[in-house]
Amino acid sequence: MSERERFERMVLPHVDAAYNLARWLTRNDHDADDVLQDAMLRAYRFFPALRGEPRPWLLAIVRNACWSWLQANRPAELDSSDDAASDAPGPEALAAREFDRAALNQAIAALPVPFREALVLRELEDLSYKEIARIAGVPIGTVMSRLARARRLLAEALRPSAAAPRLRLHK
Amino acid sequence: MRPDEKLSAYLDGELDAAASVELEREMAQNPALRAACERMRELSRTIREKGDYFRRPAKAPRRSSWTRLAPAFAAVLALGIGIGFFVAQPREDAAPGAEAIAAHVRATLGGHLIDVASSDQHSVKPWLSARLPFSPPVPELSQEGFVLAGARLDALAGQPAAVLVYRRRQHVIDVFVAPGSAGASSFARNGFNVETFGRDGMRYWLVSDLNRNELQDLSRLLSQR
Repeated sequence: MSERERFERMVLPHVDAAYNLARWLTRNDHDADDVLQDAMLRAYRFFPALRGEPRPWLLAIVRNACWSWLQANRPAELDSSDDAASDAPGPEALAAREFDRAALNQAIAALPVPFREALVLRELEDLSYKEIARIAGVPIGTVMSRLARARRLLAEALRPSAAAPRLRLHK
Repeated sequence: MRPDEKLSAYLDGELDAAASVELEREMAQNPALRAACERMRELSRTIREKGDYFRRPAKAPRRSSWTRLAPAFAAVLALGIGIGFFVAQPREDAAPGAEAIAAHVRATLGGHLIDVASSDQHSVKPWLSARLPFSPPVPELSQEGFVLAGARLDALAGQPAAVLVYRRRQHVIDVFVAPGSAGASSFARNGFNVETFGRDGMRYWLVSDLNRNELQDLSRLLSQR
């Protein structure tokens, strides 16, 4: 089997997951498509170095392509501080209900990039903390706190009585 | 570790055994913590069910500039064909599709359509996970007009497969789910329509005598949740 055939067989089936991640991180069809093309080229170039599972490997390449793209085009979006703020309320304040689909997706899109990426990889791609840590290039502990923070921010944003939205909207 | 980090990791199955036991013991004595856990579980479930899963627009106008990609021109050529073929021109994976039709017909004729009859996803899913080496998602789609009737076990290509049975009007729709992956494609044979796609390490085959458009609606619903 040629290198290209191996690539098609192993990597291309994950192009949907790759697009979904790029779309969530760029929040726009065209930009996601551009970033995905770049990422697929990189993936093809780095393919001989692939060891292990192709999906997290491809997602890591896509993630890095997204970050480079954001850095070049929308650097402000990456400025969001990533510390686990201590002023946030504890788990008691979480109030998940039957959310409106649009409100839910808007709230996810409004999360700062590091939290959004952790949440998408966990909830939509069902990856383990270890895999997410490898993709995002951070320690597992950071994945844990980012996910907890992402959920807290979401629950707050979706709370019916949320007086003042705590999330910074990027657009 | 903050309390909400502990809960969050617990729900993700990422807390070690000792810490999980401790947390469960704590929850047994603390109704507020238990409620917080339930709310967080509900949030996670909601995201999985209602979070957008974006698909590559089928015919997206290409904006990418060839100047930027020029250095990689050769690679684009080599690969563009591959991706284009795979994504835009779904391959017909006829053999397993035909097998799915055969299984569907067998089940319909034999009257053995359903092993576990329930419209409740929360009883169907555990029933399936208890009998299979994988756990297929069982979405609730009655609002979209596809009523869950139950599930059965079947086999495709010698491998065990879960079959979710949905109904729409008088039509029965078999949704075969087994580990694997594939690009999306659809075809018709012997009066049956078949839709197939891969998602999250699972391969899906939808088989029904339902018309193609409505079957594609279901395929979209299943692949996007």
